[in-house]
Order: sequence, then structure tokens, then C-alpha cells
Amino acid sequence: MNRAAPILIAIVVLCAGIWLVPLVHFVPLKSARQHSTEATFNPSAFAETFWSERLLESVDKAVDAAVLLAEIKQDPKEAREKHGRTLGLSGTYYYFVSGTGRILTVDKESVSLTLGAKDSTVDIILETGNIFGNAVRDGTGLIDVNNYPNSRDFNDISSEINRRIEERVLPSLRAKAAVGATVHFAGCAEISNETTDLHPLVLVPIVAEVQ
Amino acid sequence: MKMHYLKLAIAFALVATLTSGCKQNSDESKSPDMPKPDEQAKIAIVVSTLNNPWFVVLADTARDRAKELGYDAEIFDSQNDPAKEEANFENILASGYKAIILNPTDADGSIANVRKAKAAGIPVFCIDREINATDAATSQILSDSYSGAVALGQNFVKQVGEQGQYVELLGLVGDNNTWNRSKGFHSVVDRYPGLKMVAQQSADFDRAKGMEVLESILQAHPDINAVFCGNDAMAMGAYQALVTDGKADKVKIFGFDGSDDVVKLIADGKIAATGMQFPKTMARKAAEFADQYIKGKRDFEQKIPVSVELVTKENVDQYKDYGKASGG
Repeated sequence: MNRAAPILIAIVVLCAGIWLVPLVHFVPLKSARQHSTEATFNPSAFAETFWSERLLESVDKAVDAAVLLAEIKQDPKEAREKHGRTLGLSGTYYYFVSGTGRILTVDKESVSLTLGAKDSTVDIILETGNIFGNAVRDGTGLIDVNNYPNSRDFNDISSEINRRIEERVLPSLRAKAAVGATVHFAGCAEISNETTDLHPLVLVPIVAEVQ
Repeated sequence: MKMHYLKLAIAFALVATLTSGCKQNSDESKSPDMPKPDEQAKIAIVVSTLNNPWFVVLADTARDRAKELGYDAEIFDSQNDPAKEEANFENILASGYKAIILNPTDADGSIANVRKAKAAGIPVFCIDREINATDAATSQILSDSYSGAVALGQNFVKQVGEQGQYVELLGLVGDNNTWNRSKGFHSVVDRYPGLKMVAQQSADFDRAKGMEVLESILQAHPDINAVFCGNDAMAMGAYQALVTDGKADKVKIFGFDGSDDVVKLIADGKIAATGMQFPKTMARKAAEFADQYIKGKRDFEQKIPVSVELVTKENVDQYKDYGKASGG
């Protein structure tokens, strides 16, 4: 009896321990599948939420195009430090810009604008063809690369944002664009070559309302 | 009664031995953090392969910068083999290194090695290639492959036109750069229905395999107009295959890396374009980060993208020696 008592106590303690902290969990297959799906990044769903809840809301934070172009003309380096966004150690940087301009030309893949009332200088070019690259993802400063363990997910966000621009912004712009019409716009410019990219600014538009 | 005393003595001896052992281990674990003034701290550079000049430049630059900063630096070659990388890490963790600069072999497979180093208190700085985790490496300095490939894709359409047949040579399938480059390229080229990809095959970022794979593809598809290669080593292999087949003047080759031999062939009009990745910038920055960590800094950005610049015949004079000719 003296020998059996400690063994019995040990077994009871062990059973209680396993009951309290089970080594194996059984969960319904449906629930496990749902959990697995939640863990997988969905770029389309992310981009949809980003588009409706963050991107369009952020337009009032974009720098005024006329102000920016004046500052670039005065001191491009200072303008970059003040308004530009750079990702990591990149030489390439971005501007998030808004404004109102008058259409000077309508081409197959772009619309050119001037910001001056009677001017004929092209200040802004709005892209209206296929949209490529990361200008909007990186130019707005709203998405942080550090939040994405896998850069493939991060890059998929760009494709989804670009697709929405092609579907939701460009068709109306292409349909209504006419020489002399006024356009309220907001978008992002990628500057990889300061000799060619600073004037006119080439924007991927996220807002383009022809009045 | 004598047995009880004997058991007690043995138990005491056992506890004393274990306690002294713990103390010794504790002292040992502290000692690497406090090198003697004359002792040179060591930094390890683990590179995916040295069988490619681009990675030799990457590793050599990291080693040289670490030496400039006063460290003893050694390069470990993983030979594109995750098992060799694991063995390298075991060796490094047992040898008192203060920091590791890692060019991983596999985005998922290398995570465990980085975690082991982290658990041992040794920071890991990834360069060029990422690992699929943001809580393991101290920082990751990575080429923005996707954006670089988008620019190459746009240039591809400009040079090849909107009609034609092409081949894609992929890199190592376990590396994220392989897919970021492929996806960036296809995000542009797939929008042009007249451009048909007749073959897509991995050549593991390797020059010899690049040549072999393209030779084989050319037998089935002799009329291709272009080849998009996931790195410059494969572009060089593709060029050799096309020279052998007498088609080097008819087929446009696009690479990725900015290696010296490809930059020279772009200047000669033999290769159409590449993406300059700036390996020296990444390697130097990683060595400087390791130095800052050893001196006490802890707040590093997890991911630091480095832009990739398009190199074509029009701007090739701006690039040399794995970077900007102006030294950028």
C-alpha cells in the first residue's frame, strides 16, 4: 500500500495535468480550413479595403501640384526632402500630388494638363493606358513594407491597386477628356530620373474628375 | 543507514557538479560579448553561392567593409544548398561570431537557421534575398526586384514590339527574387496578347544551366524573338547558346543583376537590357548595420528595399563595376 500510493498520486496528477493542458486538440475540419484561409494573405481583399477606406480618404494629404512644381523649380533637393517619399535605400522616390488643370492634349495613353489659366506649358501628364509598377502603393506612404513577411504579397498589392485604377478611374477620364476641359486630379508620380521626370510630372491618377 | 548517507552524498555531488557546470556555461555565454581589448570580433558572411561573379562581389564587399570597420570577417559558401547553409550556421554559432550577414539559399528554408542564430544572441542581416519572416532577422536589405522587372518588362515591349515569341529562364524556384522578377515582368508583358511565351523553365540562376536549357528549348522553338532571364548569369548562358546557334543577332536577351560582363555586352549591343541591383551598396550597408548592432544599436528597419535601375544601350555609360559610374 505504501508503495502503491505515490504511483497512484502521480497517475492522478498526470491525468489532471493532461486534462487541463491537452497535448492534442481535435477541431472540426471546417474550422481548421477556415483558420488556414485566414492565415493566407488575400491581396484583392486588402486592396479593396485600402481603396475604399484609406486611399481615397488620403487625397487631402496630397501636396498641391502648383506649389510642388514651384518648389521643385526653386530647389529640387529641398522639395524632395519636404514632399518626396523614398523606400529604403532607393534612388527612386515618389510624390503624392493633387490639383486642378486644363487639358492641353488627349493621346492614346495619356492626357496632358497645364495648371496656368492661359498657359500652354505641360505641367502634368495623367497616364490613361495600362498601369504598371508601385507608384500608388509606395507614393502615398500608407502601406509599410515591414508589415509583409513575403515581398510577393507586398507586390501583389500593387497589381490589385493598379487594376482598380484601370477599372474605376481611367474609363471615365478617357471618355470625358477633351482639349480645354478642366480636370480635378490626384495621383502619384515616380521620379527615377530627375532630368526628365520632374517637369512635367507623370501621374498615375487615383482621382480624375473632368468638369 | 549507511545506504542513506551514501545516497545523500551522491545526490549532493550531483547537484554540486550540475551547479558548477551551469555557472561555467553562464560565464562562457557572457565571455563572447566582452572580447579582450586585443581580441578582434568576428563577422560571418554566408553567401548562397560563389559560383557566380555577382555573389562574389556581394560577399567580398561585405567582408572588405567589415574589415575596414575593424572586424575579422570570413566568407562561407552555401553552394545553393540549404543543407550546406545549415552546416555553415552550426559552425558559425559554435565559433564565437558576433554577427552574420546572410544571403539566403531559400526564403522559407533559411528561416530556421536565422532563428537559431537569434536564439544564440547573434544578429543576422539578410542581403539581396529575403526570408519569409519579419521576426527572425535583425534587418533585411533587399533589391526591389519586382519594380526592376516592371521596368525591364516595359523596355522589353519597347525593344521587341507588341508581337513575338519569347522564352523565360527562371532562377531558383525557392527564392522570392525568382518570382518577384517573373511577376514584375509578366505584369507588363502579359498585357500584350501578341507576345507569346513559348517556354518557361528554371535554370537555377546558373550560367551553364542557362546555356543548356536554352539550347534544348531552341530545338523545339527555333523562331523566338527574345529571352527574358531572371539573372545575368543565365543571360550570359543564353547568349552563348544563341551564339552557338548563330542567332545572337536576331534574338534579344534581357538579364537582371547588372554584372560587369552583361553591362559590357549591352554597350556592344549584344544584350538588350538588364536591371542594376547595386550589390556593393547592399553589402556595405549590411556590414555597417552589423557594426552598429555590435556597438549597441537595436532599432533597425526590418526591410530596406534597394531600387533596381534599368540599364540599356542608351544609358549604359552611367553604369560600371556593379553600380553607378559616378560611384553611387
